[in-house]
Amino acid sequence: MLRASVFLISFLLLFGCTKKEQKLEYGLKMGETLRVNLMSEPPTVDWHKATDTTSANVMDNIMEGLTQFDLDDPEMRPIPALAAEWSTTKDAKKWTFILRQGVKWTDGVELEAQHFVDGWERLLNPATAAEYAYFLHSIKNAQAYTAGKIKNFSEVGVKILDKYKLEITLERGVAFLPMLMTHASTFPFRKDVYEKYKTAWTNPGNIVTLGPFTLKIWDHDKNLVLERNENYYGPKPWLKNVLGYMVVEQSTALSLFEGGRLDIIPEVPYTEISRLRDRKEFYSAPELTTQYYGFNVHIKPFDNPKVRKAIYMAVDREELVKMHNVGHVAASTFVPEGMMSYEAGMKVPFDPQTSKALLKEAGFSDLAKFPKLTINYNTNENNKRTAENIQAQLKKNLGLVVEIQNEDWKVYIARLTQNCPAVWRLAWGADYPDPDNLLNLWLSQSGNNRGKWSNAKYDSLIESAMAELDTGKRKALYHQAQAILQDEVPIMPWFYSRRQYMRNSRVKGYKFNPIDKRIYKTVTLEQ
Amino acid sequence: MSTLVFSFFWPDTMAFEVLMWTTIATVCAGLLFVIVKKHLLPYVFRRLGEAGFTLFFILTTVFILLRAIPGGPFDADKKLPPEVIANLEKKYGMNDTLWAQYYKHMKGVLTGDLGESYKYVSRPVAGIIKDSFPVSLKLGIYSLIVAYLIGIPLGVFAASKHNTKWDTISMFFAMGGVTLPSFLIAALLILFFSFKLELLPPGLWEGPEYYILPVITLGLRPAAMIARLTRSSALDVIKNDFIRTAYAKGLGYQVVLFKHVLRNSLIPVLTYSGPLIADVLTGAFIVEHIFAIPGMGKHFVMSVQNRDYPLVMGLAMVYSIVLVASNLLVDVFYSVADPRIRLA
Repeated sequence: MLRASVFLISFLLLFGCTKKEQKLEYGLKMGETLRVNLMSEPPTVDWHKATDTTSANVMDNIMEGLTQFDLDDPEMRPIPALAAEWSTTKDAKKWTFILRQGVKWTDGVELEAQHFVDGWERLLNPATAAEYAYFLHSIKNAQAYTAGKIKNFSEVGVKILDKYKLEITLERGVAFLPMLMTHASTFPFRKDVYEKYKTAWTNPGNIVTLGPFTLKIWDHDKNLVLERNENYYGPKPWLKNVLGYMVVEQSTALSLFEGGRLDIIPEVPYTEISRLRDRKEFYSAPELTTQYYGFNVHIKPFDNPKVRKAIYMAVDREELVKMHNVGHVAASTFVPEGMMSYEAGMKVPFDPQTSKALLKEAGFSDLAKFPKLTINYNTNENNKRTAENIQAQLKKNLGLVVEIQNEDWKVYIARLTQNCPAVWRLAWGADYPDPDNLLNLWLSQSGNNRGKWSNAKYDSLIESAMAELDTGKRKALYHQAQAILQDEVPIMPWFYSRRQYMRNSRVKGYKFNPIDKRIYKTVTLEQ
Repeated sequence: MSTLVFSFFWPDTMAFEVLMWTTIATVCAGLLFVIVKKHLLPYVFRRLGEAGFTLFFILTTVFILLRAIPGGPFDADKKLPPEVIANLEKKYGMNDTLWAQYYKHMKGVLTGDLGESYKYVSRPVAGIIKDSFPVSLKLGIYSLIVAYLIGIPLGVFAASKHNTKWDTISMFFAMGGVTLPSFLIAALLILFFSFKLELLPPGLWEGPEYYILPVITLGLRPAAMIARLTRSSALDVIKNDFIRTAYAKGLGYQVVLFKHVLRNSLIPVLTYSGPLIADVLTGAFIVEHIFAIPGMGKHFVMSVQNRDYPLVMGLAMVYSIVLVASNLLVDVFYSVADPRIRLA
C-alpha cells in the first residue's frame, strides 16, 4: 500500500512536470493569433438579449451596426459603419440612414434595410423580453409596442424607403441617435437564420454575421475562437484568429500574462498596480465611469439641500483617491473626465468650515444632535474602503457618527428599488460617450433616480439638450443642468475610475478607449 | 531524465485517462461484487426508493428558499423600464402563482427538462451541467486518489510510530493540511511551481500538466483529514487484544499493520467519505476559480448570486444525487470493512 502510494504520487508529479513547448489549442498558430482574456463566459452573443460587457466584447468583433465609434477621436464621435451616411431634420426628430451597398453576410446574402427592421422588431417585441429594448424607446411608438399597447409593428416609426435606405421617426428629438446605433442591440438581424435554428441560432456554425471576425468555436467556460471574416466589407483584419480565454480570477490572468500565455488582459488586481505601474506593458486609461453616492431626498434631514451639500463638502475627494492609489481621478461633475461637458472647474470644493456653517443654517448648530448617518453599499472590497474612508473623514471633519452597512449585490439592488436608504452607493459606466447617458439619470421620471430627487428646471434643460444638434448650445444647456446638480447635491460624485490593462509588446495597433470597446480588427502582431 | 524516459513510451494524457477510468471501473466493480456477494440488492433498491423522497424534499426546500431570499434575477444597477420588466416576468413565468411555478418545475424534473438558464440566455441547464460536470468529476477523482493515497498510509504510519518524532511530523503536516485554506495553498503552489521552478502552468485546463496543481490543492485537505481520522482510529485498534494475538502468532509488522489494523480503522474514514466524495466530485469553487478550470463549482456560487433559479435547482439536484449515491456507496463498503455491520 505504502509503496503503491509513493509510486502513484511520484508518477503523477513526474508526468505533470514535463516541460512543454508552448502551443495553442484548436490548432491555432501563435504568430497569427491574438490571445485575450474575455474575463468570463459570455452569457450570450444574441445581440438582442446580451446586456454585459463580455458579450459585447465578442459581438463588437463579429458584428457591426449602422455606425461605429471613431476610436482615434478622443470624444469618440460616431463614424460610418454599415451606414455610409446619414442626415436628420432640424429638430433631430427624423433621421435617414443610407446603407453601404454590397455588404455581405457570412453566408453570402447581401445586407439590406429590412435586416435592421427585422432586428428592431425582435428587440422591441414583448415576446423577446429584451432588456435593452429601451435603447430604441425614443423611436415613435416603440415603447408602446414593447408594452404591448400597439400590436402592429408598422405603426412604429421605422420605414424602409428603399433597399438601402431607412427612415426613423422619433418620439422627440435625439441629437445623439447615431451614437446609439453603435450599440449591439441595434445590429441588423437575419430572421431567416433565426427561424431555422431558433434559440440555437447563435451557436458557431449556425450564426450568420458580417463583422471583421466570425465566431468559430465556443468551448463553454473555457475558450472562444474568432476567425477572420474573408467577406468583411472593410479592410481585412491582419489577425487570422482571436483566442479568447475565460479566466475570471484577475491574479490568475496576470500570472498567465506574465507567463506569456495571454497577450491582453483588460484588468489587473488592484494590489498589483504599484508593482506593474512602471512596466512598458502597463496601460491605464479613463473608463467613463463615475463612482457616486446618492441621497434619498425624502428622508430627513436629507430633504434639505443644505444638509446634502454640507455632507458632500466635508469629504476630501483627493484624499479618497490617494487612499485608493490606483489612478482614479477625483470627481467634479457627474459627467466623467473624457466626455463632452466634463468640467473640472465646476467642482464643489472641499471645505469643512462652510460645511459646518451650512449645517448650522439647516438647524444643526450642535452636531452631536445630527441623526445617525448610515452609508449603504454592495459588498465589495473597494466599496468598503471607500465607505470607511468617507466614514473617517466625516468623523474627523464634522464629528459625525457614521455607520456603514453592506449587502450582497442582488439584495442591495432590490432594496434600492423597493425601499431606498438615505445614503446609497452606485456607479454608472457610460453606455455611449454622451453626457445625456449620465445626466438623464436624474430626470424626475427616471427609474435610476432612486433617491427620487426632482427638479422641473433640470428636467426641461436635459430634454432640450437631448434634441439640440448644435454642440455649443448643448454644452451650455448641460452646464446649466450640472450647476443645478452641484447646488442641490442629490448625488455625490466621488471619483472617475480608471481601467488598467496589460498588453504584450508583440501586440501593435490595439486601440485603448474610454468606452472600453475591445476591437481587434486593427491589431497586428510583431513576429 | 526519468520523465523523458517515461513519457517516451506512455503518453501522459493517456496515463491520466487510464488512471481515472481504472479508478471508476474498480470502484464500480467492487460495488457490484459486494452487492451480489452479500445479497444487498433489495437493500440498494430500497435505498434508491428513499433517495427519491430525499430528492423531492431537497428540491422543494431549495425552491422555497430561492423565492424567500430578496432580490430577483432581473434586478440590476441600470434600472429597466417597467414594461421591459413586465415582459421578462411574463416570459419566465414569474407572475404565475408560486404553486404553478413549483408544479412546472417539478414536472420538468420528472420529464428530464430542467429549463433554460436566465443568465446564460437560451442555454439549457442540462447543457450547462453536461459541459461542466465532467471537468469537476475529473478534477475530483484525481484529488480523491491523492487524498486516500496520502491520507490512509500517513495515518497508519503515524499510529504505528505513536509518540515518536515521526508521529509528530506526520500530524504536523496533517494539521497544516486541515487548517491552511485552499486559496493559500494554491497561491503557494503557483508561486513555487509556476514562478520559481517554471514547471507547471499557473492556471487553465488544457492537459495533464494543468491538472497537477489544482489536484494537489483540492486533495490536500481531505488527505489531511483522512490521515487524522485513520491515525486516531488506528490507535484504538492497535490497543486491541487481537493485534497482540496477531503479533503473538508470528505475523510480520507490515502484515499486522495493513491487514488487521488498517481494515479495522477504516470505519471513520468511510463515514467521512460520503459527504467528501460528493463535495469533491461536484466541483470546488475556490480551486476552480483560482486555476481557471471550467468546472461546475463556480456555478454553485454564481447561480445563487445571479438568482438564476433554473440553474440553482438543476445544480441542487445534481449535488443531491451525487451525495445520495456516495452515501450509499459508503454504506455498502461498511459491510466489507467490518463484517459485523449488516445492511438489510
